[in-house]
Amino acid sequence: MLTHFSAVLLFSLFVSIVFGITQRSEPRMMVRFGAYCFVLFVGITIVASWAMWAIKH
Amino acid sequence: MATEAQQIAQRVPGEKSSKPTLALIAGWLIPGAGHLVVGKYYRAALLFISILGMYLIGLGLQGKIYTPNTGDVLDILGFIGQLGLGVFYLIARIFGLGASSVTITLGDYGTKFLVVGGLLNIIAAVDAHSLANGRKQS
Repeated sequence: MLTHFSAVLLFSLFVSIVFGITQRSEPRMMVRFGAYCFVLFVGITIVASWAMWAIKH
Repeated sequence: MATEAQQIAQRVPGEKSSKPTLALIAGWLIPGAGHLVVGKYYRAALLFISILGMYLIGLGLQGKIYTPNTGDVLDILGFIGQLGLGVFYLIARIFGLGASSVTITLGDYGTKFLVVGGLLNIIAAVDAHSLANGRKQS
């Protein structure tokens, strides 16, 4: 069974691959944009998670 | 000798071709098939794996498969999103895969995987259409 965090990682990975391929024209830029999206997805999720923890406590 | 990409880019605007429509419909029905039509094999494989992954995880998390006839606006929107999965959605409906309602917490995540997978497939199909008609260069 997936944990919440592994679900986030897989979601971010697959969405970033599709975003990279469809939103850029050159293969090099596709990889860069995909990696950028992945980092943003995961990073924002972690920040939002800690923010919710801080609000609760 | 011009490459395939150059030939696509040099197509006369307004010139009629069935390839863009074929790429759009094939890409919608089978994730990545639109990119196969325009000769982008690696991209097609990555798109197929990604959208299939979203679909399988969604089903594995007991995500809800929407139907169009509930009358609830949110259900209709979910149905439209999941319809983007093409034959994957039909397979889920025919074989009764997924859940008819969300019964566990992770099931809500599964539903989001299925809806987003469908929306991503629509984006991929439109990208294949843009490649086929020359709007996107490569």
